[in-house]
Amino acid sequence: MMKELVRLESISKRYVMGRTVVTALDEVSLSIHEGEYVAIMGHSGSGKSTMLNVLGCLDKPTSGRYLLGGLDVSTMDDAALSDVRGRRIGFVFQSFNLIPQISVLANIEVPLFYLGMPRPQRHPRSSALADLVGLGHRKDHKPTELSGGQRQRVAVARALANDPLLILADEPTGNLDTRTSQEIMELFDDLYRRGRTIILVTHEDDVAGHARRVVRLKDGKVDSDSLSARGLAESKAAQT
Amino acid sequence: MKGLNKVGDIVLLGLSSLAVHKVRSGLTAMGILFGVWSVIAMLAINEGASYESQQSLRQMGSDNLLIDSVKPSADESGAAQARGVLNYGITWSDQRTLIDNLPGVVRWTAAHRTQKSAQNGTKLIPCQVIGASPNYLDLGRLALVAGRFVSEADQTLCRNTAILTVSLARRLFGPDDPLDKVIRLGGESFRVVGLVDQPSRTMAAVPSELAMNLIFIPSATDKNRFGEFTVINTGSSRSRERVEVSQLIVQLADEKTVLNAAKVVRSLLSRSHDKRDYDITVPLELIEQRAKQRRLWNIMFFTVASISLLVGGIGIMNIMLASVTERTREIGIRRALGAKRRDIIVQFLVEAVTLTTVGGLTGIALGFAVPPVVQTLLKIPALLPAATMIIPFLMAVIVGLISGLYPAMRAAQLDPIEALRHE
Ligand SMILES: Nc1ncnc2c1ncn2[C@@H]1O[C@H](COP(=O)(O)OP(=O)(O)O)[C@@H](O)[C@H]1O
Ligand SMILES: [Mg+2]
Repeated sequence: MMKELVRLESISKRYVMGRTVVTALDEVSLSIHEGEYVAIMGHSGSGKSTMLNVLGCLDKPTSGRYLLGGLDVSTMDDAALSDVRGRRIGFVFQSFNLIPQISVLANIEVPLFYLGMPRPQRHPRSSALADLVGLGHRKDHKPTELSGGQRQRVAVARALANDPLLILADEPTGNLDTRTSQEIMELFDDLYRRGRTIILVTHEDDVAGHARRVVRLKDGKVDSDSLSARGLAESKAAQT
Repeated sequence: MKGLNKVGDIVLLGLSSLAVHKVRSGLTAMGILFGVWSVIAMLAINEGASYESQQSLRQMGSDNLLIDSVKPSADESGAAQARGVLNYGITWSDQRTLIDNLPGVVRWTAAHRTQKSAQNGTKLIPCQVIGASPNYLDLGRLALVAGRFVSEADQTLCRNTAILTVSLARRLFGPDDPLDKVIRLGGESFRVVGLVDQPSRTMAAVPSELAMNLIFIPSATDKNRFGEFTVINTGSSRSRERVEVSQLIVQLADEKTVLNAAKVVRSLLSRSHDKRDYDITVPLELIEQRAKQRRLWNIMFFTVASISLLVGGIGIMNIMLASVTERTREIGIRRALGAKRRDIIVQFLVEAVTLTTVGGLTGIALGFAVPPVVQTLLKIPALLPAATMIIPFLMAVIVGLISGLYPAMRAAQLDPIEALRHE
């Protein structure tokens, strides 16, 4: 059995809006192990993004405990959380979130920069990552000179830069057409095969089909948690 | 080591984002540039002007006291006018009392002035004749240009020797060498033995049209030949004046005794004179007064110039705030990828401080042009002491820090999730 990487214990996230309280996450408990490929699904407003933000240490839960790689991150302050994000998390966003004024390589290097990696070491790493995601010929381009699919590839390369424990993607294909979505998902499949732990949020069954495990949220609660078709096939193959 | 490396990189990051917005950065830096430049210009002009006046005061000697006889105002002089003679000024008895009673007198000299006409051939030029002793050259701060000044031998033998100011010599002799020539003065012949420069300050109450035309003769000769009377021709009427001592210059041991001596002089003279027919000049007091005045001017200049720097600072803060808003998303991205609040603060501060520093340095560079430009255009001196450079520069850096700090803090306080959602 692989090591437990994520452990959520009765995690709640509530927003107070004047008199009403919105419960985005309601006593969620969940465990994810190293090397898993998990899709989080659910209707709009079911709390998927909130969950991913908590998992990514961008947001702090209102109550509950969150252990990331055995480290309790639910009590950490802002600086410590920044550090955890910088060292252990790789984010891929729906809207790419690249910095428009700087080159592809410079974008990939941003996490390395805040890790304090010296410039001479950053460069070969970002260059190798650009090659990995198939953008070897676009290294010095600005994000605005790239297509949506290419931009998301840069984002994936950037998410890998700090060699994270966990890759988190919030609707990574939400802004892409079917074909490029397919290409990006192949990139994730590839990362999965290399042993990366991936959690992605989606409301598309096609996309979720790439994952091995599907967690469904409903009104901030875990509605179901089961293996996908691929996951079933894989576990059967493993048993025989 | 790792931390230092990161700070260095964040500095580079700040610089590169300035390079992205060249026009905006340039305009912002310009605000500071003019602020710094105007501080420098004002300080330099003020410094130059005060240096000049200090210099002319120092020429009178900061350890000297000058006591001049002056003609009392018309209503005061009425009573003193006996038998058509106006009697006024420092008397020989005053002179004796002062010299005997002043503490710390090192040297002193007395001069007597009469109004006459100097004649060379057909040229007749009104002038001031000053009976002086040899040490007047030094105490009166005269600069000998040619020949010699009054000598001891001149005094004992009552010689008719004369020392002219350069300008008077030129008017009397034109291009000819005046030395050893003879001029007529008050019915006597005088041999020209020396030339002096126009003194920066002669005596109180010398009519300005005559201030350039000075003739120095031995005081013994003056007393012997001309006495204490001077005849004043005003239009049709003639009046006679009698002054015993026109000017008394006392040199004291040091600057400390000067102010005390001045007090003694004032009290002694006010006791023996019932009208203001004398004038006491204490160069040291004037120097101190000017210094005080200069400090006041400096404060005012500084305030005005600081306001322009402040305006530049507000410009920077404005730009930085706009930059924070414009780059909210970028800040969110950086925070999500591991940037701490501190990293964001440093990034924005570097931008602000760089803008002001570049503006400040350019302002200082242009500041070097201030003295020559001011001198040629305004005909007033300007000086650039080190403080003129350093103070505005430090001010610019501080303005940059302060005006950058608030936007930087605001950027750092943004919630990363909110920032990422920003369009
Ligand atoms: N900053 C916020 N303030 C108030 N309510 C919020 C905030 N963020 C999310 N919510 C609410 O929490 C719920 C879950 O939101 P979210 O996690 O974004 O849903 P999903 O990503 O599944 O569409 C929604 O009802 C949303 O309105
Ligand atoms: Mg969402």
